Amino acid sequence: MVRLEKDRFDDFIRSLLADYAVYAAVTADGKSGFKVIKAAQEIDRRRLVTDRSPKEVFFPHSEVIFEYDKDGVREIEKAGKPIAIWGLRGCDVKSLSMLDKVFGSARQMPDDEMFQDPYWKKKYDTSLLFCIACNEPRSTCFCNWLGGDPHSGEGSDVFVIDAGDAFLMQPGSEKGKAFIEKTADLKPASGAEERQAAELAAGARAMMDRPVALDDLNERLKELFHTDIWEDMSGKCVNCGACAFVCSTCHCFDMQDEGKGGKGKRIRIWDSCMFPIFTKEASGHNPRHLSKDRFRQRVMHKYSYFADNYGESLCTGCGRCVVACPVGIDIREVIKHVLSYESKGAR
Amino acid sequence: MVNELREKAKKLLADKDVELVIGWERGSRALAATPVFIDSPEEADRLIFDSTCGNNPAVYFTKDARRLVKDGKRIGVVVKGCDARSLALYLAEKQVKRENIVIIGVPCRGVIDPDKVATRTGGREVLEYSEDDGKVTVKGRDLDLTFDARDVLSSSCLACVHRNAKEYDLFIGEMRDGTADKDQNAAIDEFEKLEPEERWERMKEMYSKCIRCYACRNVCPSCYCNECFVDQNDPQWIGKTHEITDTLIFHIIRNLHVAGRCVECGACERACPMGLNLLLLNRKVAREVEERFGYITGIDSGEKPAMADFREGEKQDFIMG
Amino acid sequence: MKDWQPRILAILCNWCSYAGADLAGVSRIQYPPTIRVVRVPCSGRVDPLFIMKSLQSGFDGVLISGCHPGDCHYLSGNYVARRKFAILKPLLEFVGIEPERVQFSWISAGEGERFAQVMTKVTNDIKRIGPAKRLVKGA
Repeated sequence: MVRLEKDRFDDFIRSLLADYAVYAAVTADGKSGFKVIKAAQEIDRRRLVTDRSPKEVFFPHSEVIFEYDKDGVREIEKAGKPIAIWGLRGCDVKSLSMLDKVFGSARQMPDDEMFQDPYWKKKYDTSLLFCIACNEPRSTCFCNWLGGDPHSGEGSDVFVIDAGDAFLMQPGSEKGKAFIEKTADLKPASGAEERQAAELAAGARAMMDRPVALDDLNERLKELFHTDIWEDMSGKCVNCGACAFVCSTCHCFDMQDEGKGGKGKRIRIWDSCMFPIFTKEASGHNPRHLSKDRFRQRVMHKYSYFADNYGESLCTGCGRCVVACPVGIDIREVIKHVLSYESKGAR
Repeated sequence: MVNELREKAKKLLADKDVELVIGWERGSRALAATPVFIDSPEEADRLIFDSTCGNNPAVYFTKDARRLVKDGKRIGVVVKGCDARSLALYLAEKQVKRENIVIIGVPCRGVIDPDKVATRTGGREVLEYSEDDGKVTVKGRDLDLTFDARDVLSSSCLACVHRNAKEYDLFIGEMRDGTADKDQNAAIDEFEKLEPEERWERMKEMYSKCIRCYACRNVCPSCYCNECFVDQNDPQWIGKTHEITDTLIFHIIRNLHVAGRCVECGACERACPMGLNLLLLNRKVAREVEERFGYITGIDSGEKPAMADFREGEKQDFIMG
Repeated sequence: MKDWQPRILAILCNWCSYAGADLAGVSRIQYPPTIRVVRVPCSGRVDPLFIMKSLQSGFDGVLISGCHPGDCHYLSGNYVARRKFAILKPLLEFVGIEPERVQFSWISAGEGERFAQVMTKVTNDIKRIGPAKRLVKGA
């Protein structure tokens, strides 16, 4: 474990900026997200979970895939420094690893480049991820339901703990180890600091509510697919896309071709299964015409289908959807309701 | 007042006057209550009403929730002044039948703007909320602050003069004084002082934050088209990327489609995950409708909405010929 | 750019304004060749969306023209249109779009000369304020 005196933080960021395009939590007009920064002052250091998730660093809302004209197709070349993200939380890092499973095609043929998403891989593979431990989880955090932990740096390159007047750091990967070794301002941490880190971890865990066991969730969801539980739970939902868009793991996208007069662009944009036309077919038929069907789809994808395909739920318990939902739907209540629902004779 | 609300709701359900009462209950977020559908007298104790009740419940009578009002089900709905205006609009637009709804008015002093609270708590999470006359108290870990309600209510609520339902079947508690705490047109007057260049730049800057999640459209009771123009893809009217002209056109047209129908309840602004100041355009359009056609949305459910109506001798100085 | 010719979209109602344009044509009345015409059954058909999309596509100006109040072929279409335009115009100005870009007129089937006059006025207005930049996509 090493330490960075907080007085040296500005210099630390400055040296990071020399080699990387640095992203960090930036708050503008009361809402936060991960944006490119030029100096340490821009960072919102009080922010725990940002309003917008870090998926937008590697998977932006609108991304031009290529341009075309009568002479052919031109890929957009984005040369530049590799990306470093400061200030991710454990749930954020986990979400990026999950997305890498999808975009890196872990399920099909991990080594076959043809199935990998180059737009994601180009940015993600060379990135340096700093995970900051959560000393004070929020009431909307439920990472511990999904195998996460406020003081877990799993998946990050450098794991950071805010210990008051210093940042304590530990390598999480070879890349992180190399970074720590070559960074001048990082001195070895003391025994007292290591104990302090453990205390902070215990304190953070104690602040969280006891997790609900989700082992049966996938099974239950499948059993309840055709019941009226969905009608009840989706009653309040207005089918906007806010939950999917702030979610750190939702990754559905649409392709839009925009062109005129023989030239144009192909653009990838975020899409949401909550939108009414998500499953609209060319004939006009829409298998998920009803709100409750779309609501069911989102819950099933996150906690059943993704679990079947990739071995874990497509959720890190970051709670962004709980904060963002305009009608206050709490996915934790949905999960608890599913686990305890009595399907026969209920309605 | 909340006890009276619960008792009245219990009675309506017990007497089978209504099959459902739509109201609010405490949710997971201290500063934002969540809609609740009460269908039995025992559940009525979940109902609450305070300044965290921001959603406009009228939205559940249209769109996909239309299933609630089919089969002639009678439904009670707890409404603030603005929500009642939405219901009056629905009556005028024949979206609900008067005999199918029981309008339960409650006195509203405004809805909390969580962003205003966040600036005062330094971002510390609010875990508990309470209020009494003119004051608001928020508590959390190492947090215990009381504010003057006017400092943390949403700006549009401060300027509201329609705090009580005009048309109702029951009114709970004392009606609120309809005086506004600030001039509703102050923001648009300020904006109009700027040069056109500057206004355009500001518009672009503000709307560049929009992520096209359509939360604003979906929580809006006035937006109930079966197929919204942004979802039409044959032809596709506007692009779906965050390209600024597409985003601006979405917002301008949505505003024009709800012209004379928007009740300025603020549900759109509260729903926006990016914190856009959406009501600026709504207020501008509402003011034009008021000044040109003498129409305020949702005051008289028998009056035809302004944009579906006309008078022969109207002012038309902007038209040649 | 002295040679720049504005491109103006003219949305004309079939019964009055389009016929008026036709009359201008057969009467060989000259007016600047800047307009592209879209014929609609009634000015009431015009959704503000058409106007916005036209500006976005690169038209420098849009003119919507219908029957005089009282003369609408569908009786009240132009009255409803009038209210829509009455709100659209100040809103566009509010967001910073030049007011000359979107204009409205009532032109009857017999007003061929008048049609030419209105088109000339609109063209001159647009020439004065220059090509559209603000709402143009990809600009």
